Amino acid sequence: MKFLRNLLLSFVFAGVMALGTTSANAACKVHLGDFDWDSANVHTAIASYILEKGYGCEVQATKGSTTPIMAALFDQQIDIITEVWRDNLVQLIEDNLAKGNIIELGVNTPSSTQGFYVDKPTADKYGLKSVDDMKSAEIAKLFADPEAPGKGRMTSCISGWTCYTINLVKHKVYGLDKYYTNFDPGSGGALDAAIAGAFKKGKPVFSYYWTPTGLMGKVDLVKLEEPAYDAACWKEMTAVVEDIKKNGPDVYKPTCACEYVNMKLTKAASTTFANNPANKPIIDFIKAYSVPTADVNKSLAFYMDESGGDMEATAKNFLQNNNMWEKWVPGDVKKKVKASL
Amino acid sequence: MQKYKKYFKPFIYLIIFIGFIIIGYRNAKPRYKPENFTDIFNDFSWLGNWPKWLDFPLMQPLNAGFDWLIVNYGMFFEGINNFLLGLYTSMKDFLVGLPWPLVIAIVIFITYFASGKKTTTTVMVAFCTFFLGFLSPRYWDKCIMTTCIVLIGMGLCIVVGIPLGIAMARNKKVRNALLPVLDLMQTIPSFCYLIPGILLFGLGAVPAIIAIFVYAVPPLIRLTDLGIRLVDKEVIEASEAFGASKKQTLWGVQIPLALPNIMQGINQCTMMSLAMVVIASMIGTRGIGDEVLLGLQQLNVGMATEAGIAIVLLAIIFDRITQSYGERIQERTQKKKKIDYGKN
Repeated sequence: MKFLRNLLLSFVFAGVMALGTTSANAACKVHLGDFDWDSANVHTAIASYILEKGYGCEVQATKGSTTPIMAALFDQQIDIITEVWRDNLVQLIEDNLAKGNIIELGVNTPSSTQGFYVDKPTADKYGLKSVDDMKSAEIAKLFADPEAPGKGRMTSCISGWTCYTINLVKHKVYGLDKYYTNFDPGSGGALDAAIAGAFKKGKPVFSYYWTPTGLMGKVDLVKLEEPAYDAACWKEMTAVVEDIKKNGPDVYKPTCACEYVNMKLTKAASTTFANNPANKPIIDFIKAYSVPTADVNKSLAFYMDESGGDMEATAKNFLQNNNMWEKWVPGDVKKKVKASL
Repeated sequence: MQKYKKYFKPFIYLIIFIGFIIIGYRNAKPRYKPENFTDIFNDFSWLGNWPKWLDFPLMQPLNAGFDWLIVNYGMFFEGINNFLLGLYTSMKDFLVGLPWPLVIAIVIFITYFASGKKTTTTVMVAFCTFFLGFLSPRYWDKCIMTTCIVLIGMGLCIVVGIPLGIAMARNKKVRNALLPVLDLMQTIPSFCYLIPGILLFGLGAVPAIIAIFVYAVPPLIRLTDLGIRLVDKEVIEASEAFGASKKQTLWGVQIPLALPNIMQGINQCTMMSLAMVVIASMIGTRGIGDEVLLGLQQLNVGMATEAGIAIVLLAIIFDRITQSYGERIQERTQKKKKIDYGKN
């Protein structure tokens, strides 16, 4: 009897489980790739809100560092990424385009900047305008690296981000490496905390940073001038950078270096996902998706100051206060999203 | 009156609870609240999903408090920072400056005497130490950095943890007050104190040392407490019968008898410090942990595993030294038993 009862119970259990999964089966499934910085999170939140409410999709978002998330996209595990820092990853993306692993879906944020920044009070006091102004032992002392006596510290990218190696090469080319360490802060959150903490204490900051970011609206950082962007020069430098990424810092050879180009942040999808005819409406939507830098900054400010750290509320706020998104989607989807707001 | 006394405590809790709800409601954003307070009793839709006005505002005061801490006590934290950093840099520079064979020789020396001249342990530890550099030459300096951070963190743990453990064992009130704090320290995710650590101390070794302290001190406190409480009542009574003062009982009887347990605590403390130092590489702490992190970020499985093995070796070295020293102490404090075994 007991055996029979157990058997019956397990059947009921299995039945419930099966029902549970079938009822959760949505019209489509999208796996978004997200990164560990806030502007990417905003785009992922907005896109997943529209996909969920408008298209009735089951959206899964995976957050991580650049390399693993891009690798997952190339491996077809992730379907769509809404913010790709294409110019930092040129080589990688072009290789995979050639292999047919990914499809690019156009520009998301038309302009973004990245570069070396110094806090405004220090920059004004010592007249720091360009990277050349930084090359002095006295200036370096202001940004003293407590763990490397005699050197200043420039908080740089995380060693997993390509810009870490770019900064490494730039330091050598500009001659900054004699005065400063290219300090890996370990994670995106740690870099933000280091900058915010220095501002709270009124200490000088010398750091790599970028826009659009939420933090940029709160602190006063001045961008240092670098040699003007030149495509040929950038290409030469990227070759050295990729070589170092593969073979370690010993393979460095003198190259030319210039500022980061004001780059377009793009979108990409995995080929398997994009080539599936069922996904065409979604691909069309992502293709149309584009948010200007100023609006990304606004959303980030809302996220930081008002939402209480709620990305979904930030996405809702964006959708409520803008109508640019209405052009990205067909009429019925627009109605559904509007209704859910 | 006497009859209702047992309801007194729950009643206070209930008042506090209602107070919390009122604070939460008053602080909620107007757009989340119903237009009229009485709407709550007419429209029960808020019973479905957790309503947005039922939200205790903890984040803002915490942020404000934290800012206040930085602005007003910045100098104090700066002082701690400079002290710990000075200790760390001088120690690191000294050890990195030594020729590597000498460092291995020192490790062998320490192991040999800490383990009570056991050759097998010594040989094993020597091998492990050699393999740190042998795995990859650039690991050597990084392992030294990690070791320095772990040692300083452990020193801090011992200085604070053992007295606290003793206090806990001797006083029930201290025990009741400390236990929830220890539970909190052990369960709160490490990033909750790693990121504030950066704001207070800047990137690098010091927030890692603080994180090690928070993460690794609870087992030491607990095991010290346990060790002292496990000392036989009869033994303490005997010492009191001989006229020992409380202080003499503590130093002459309780601590020596609790030493094996305290050593176990120190051993646990070391292992947890090592685990934390790897996580701390995410806040820019230099050491062998950033090799793992780099391997992970570059999807370089070989690199991450190689560095992982180095960390395991480092853990074995620490473990064997503290463990064998603990065993030796145990043998010393329980010598009589050992002789008995010999007779059998």
